[in-house]
Amino acid sequence: MDETLVNLDDLGLTEEELFAPFDCSEINSEKITAPRYSYWKSVFRVFFKHKINIFLLALLGFVVFLAYVYPLISPYNSAEHVTDLEAFHLSPSEAISRFGFHLKYIFGTNAQGASTFNAVWSGAQISISLALVCAAINMTIGILLGAVWGFSKKFDIVMIEVYNIVGNVPYILVISVLVMIMTGSFWTLVFAMTLTGWIGIAYFIRTQVLIIRDREYNLASRCLGTSIFKITLKNILPFMTSVIVTVIATEIPSYISYEVFLSYIGMGLSDMSLGRLIEENQVAMTTPGWGWEFWTPVIVAAIITVVLYVVGQNLGDASDPRTHM
Amino acid sequence: MVKYILKRLLHGIVSVLIVVLIVMLLVYSTMDRNLIFSSDGTFTKLSGNDKEVYRYQQWERYGYLDYVPYGDYLGTLGLTSEERSAAAFGNTPAEDSAAAKKYIEQFTKEYESRGYTVTRLNYSKAKGNSKQLFAYKDINVFVRFWNFVTGIVTVDNIHNARGIADEERGISFTWYDPAYFTYDEAGNVVGKKFSPAIIGNGTTHKYLLYFDGKFPFIHQNLISVSLGTSYSVNQGVDVWDTMTQSQGAYVNGEVSYPTGHIEVSADNLHSATYVEGSLAAGGEFVQARFTDDYTNISTNKAGMSRMGYSFTIGIIATIIAYFVGLPLGILMALKKDKFADKLGTLYIIFIIAVPSLAYIFMFKGIGMLMGLPVTFDTSGNWLYYILPIVSLALPSIGGLMKWMRRYMIDQSNSDYVKFARSGGLSEGQIFRKHIMKNAAIPILNGIPGSVLGALTGAIITESVYVVPGVGNVLTKAINLYDNSVIVGITLFYALLSILALILGDILMALTDPRISFNKKER
Repeated sequence: MDETLVNLDDLGLTEEELFAPFDCSEINSEKITAPRYSYWKSVFRVFFKHKINIFLLALLGFVVFLAYVYPLISPYNSAEHVTDLEAFHLSPSEAISRFGFHLKYIFGTNAQGASTFNAVWSGAQISISLALVCAAINMTIGILLGAVWGFSKKFDIVMIEVYNIVGNVPYILVISVLVMIMTGSFWTLVFAMTLTGWIGIAYFIRTQVLIIRDREYNLASRCLGTSIFKITLKNILPFMTSVIVTVIATEIPSYISYEVFLSYIGMGLSDMSLGRLIEENQVAMTTPGWGWEFWTPVIVAAIITVVLYVVGQNLGDASDPRTHM
Repeated sequence: MVKYILKRLLHGIVSVLIVVLIVMLLVYSTMDRNLIFSSDGTFTKLSGNDKEVYRYQQWERYGYLDYVPYGDYLGTLGLTSEERSAAAFGNTPAEDSAAAKKYIEQFTKEYESRGYTVTRLNYSKAKGNSKQLFAYKDINVFVRFWNFVTGIVTVDNIHNARGIADEERGISFTWYDPAYFTYDEAGNVVGKKFSPAIIGNGTTHKYLLYFDGKFPFIHQNLISVSLGTSYSVNQGVDVWDTMTQSQGAYVNGEVSYPTGHIEVSADNLHSATYVEGSLAAGGEFVQARFTDDYTNISTNKAGMSRMGYSFTIGIIATIIAYFVGLPLGILMALKKDKFADKLGTLYIIFIIAVPSLAYIFMFKGIGMLMGLPVTFDTSGNWLYYILPIVSLALPSIGGLMKWMRRYMIDQSNSDYVKFARSGGLSEGQIFRKHIMKNAAIPILNGIPGSVLGALTGAIITESVYVVPGVGNVLTKAINLYDNSVIVGITLFYALLSILALILGDILMALTDPRISFNKKER
């Protein structure tokens, strides 16, 4: 105890330096200070608290790396061994013993003798890109329009009718007619999937806005003369962050599923996507020994969507401030 | 309540009509109309002017335009045969006779003044082309829409058939259906069977109302639904018939034809429709069997209709889904955060996130390993139904589990449950009388949707297992550019979904006393 005490005389300081009168200002005493708080920092603190999320994020990173970087190193070439009849439908072990060990043969070869591994990842690249672009467009339009829709009663009357009507036009009809009129290119599909795709999101956001629009703190804001735009931006959107993240988490995998479905019924992309791979290799499913070329795109599609969904859901949970305690 | 429902129905019908109009605009005004021939065998065989004329004839048949050949125009003028042959147009305009020139000019003038385009295609020996002269005018999409909507429901009447004397037209009622008569060798009726029927003469259908041994035992032909004639999916047949006609192998039975001729055949006499002059044109074969022009009959088939298969599979899957999904959802809510809940959540994530195509193929793969048949067959063996039903039920089980769990947990956290508990009610009572009742309401709302949804079929499941159901009609129509089928199916889907919404709300109002459609009662 005694050891920690210091004799002031030993410091060799003057009386003024040791003791100064404290400036007791009225303004400073009125200030309330709180510890620094960053919303996103605490979101990620909660998110990374669960070890499973680190694993899933790493898996997601790995998949994205394979889909976006691997095709640059080893691009998919459908005509690689097209003249070599012996190279068709090889299982991984046969392919490796035939061509020597290379990463691209670990899933065997497909009906034209091309590497299934390369096909899967260049397909995954297109499918993921399509999902991301569609989600970005639909979410932006959906959130903005949904917020206005929830606020304006006049707009609501019109939009409810539009929603009832557009919701009844079969989605595959819109997409396939557009794909037929234009071609089955990447941007056509993006256009087709976003033409009516935003309306469901907008409706969901509208309902959420309606729920919190008339809460007391918003009424108070309005009484104080805050503009509706500012209320939406500062009071309502932050409240809905976790809801929006959760919607994104469901939307992105659903676009991948949709692309797979459309390609399967013959209305999808003309590029090699995951859906087209599954559709083209369908025959291989029932043929013994050809299973690899069919099941790998199916399983990769499943892994990508599950990882995206779970990461998104967990991020959505973490972005709810109520979990930050 | 009734007023509210009528209002909702009217509102729903208006939105369905707008949907149909939008789809018609999409399909008929934006799509290249030459695409409809892409899978037409006759079209590819034709060449030159014949091909050109065939195109216009088909377009007229499928409602794109009004097509008038020069010959038809001459027919309306009431000319004598000499005048007609004089009016015949030549191989080229230069070869026309003076009389022909006059008529062609008259034809051109008349139709061009009505907005038609007159086209003349010359004869050319080298190309083997025939000479053609015709006028055509596009039919506006809005006119088409009107024609389509007004033609959806038709009521048969005694003035439909042409070529029947007016005094013979009429509707008769009989206690003994003539289709069940038995005859002796001389063709006299010897046996009758009690089976009431209403028979029309002059109507399109001969039997307007009759009984037979097939579900629902009483059948009618008085009111018929037409959703548009198919071009390539099922050529010449209406979409509604494509969906509702039975398929598969013929069912033969002893048929006694109206003449007394008895034969083992699959003909269904109750389906007889009128074709003018068919008795005379049909020759001995038809005359040996029929006594009037009601000779166009369909056949009895063993299988169900497309809608029948889709509905059977869909409804069984729905029932299984509700009976398995709801208890599992309740179990998950009761064991919240325990092992059962986590396992269930894993399953729900799998169903939501994984593309449905992928897991249906996984189910198919597992089924194959278990030795179940994977390619559907209409022979009626129940083994064929297992995999399609399972593939449809498993995803809906996931969805129901998710919502039931959510609703149960939301309800069990609410204040009235806490109050009931503090009041001393047992957990069982709280669960049965409070939580269950309230959590079931939103679930009930979805039941009409799942039941009616079973009628529309499932696209992926049906195509993976090759089920001859309704699910693939739309995709097939889109792939084959069969526009009237697209419009017809859209109308059908839209009607069902509107009906499901209304029925869901009514069901909710009936079960939940807090919901009332009558504003004044509040």
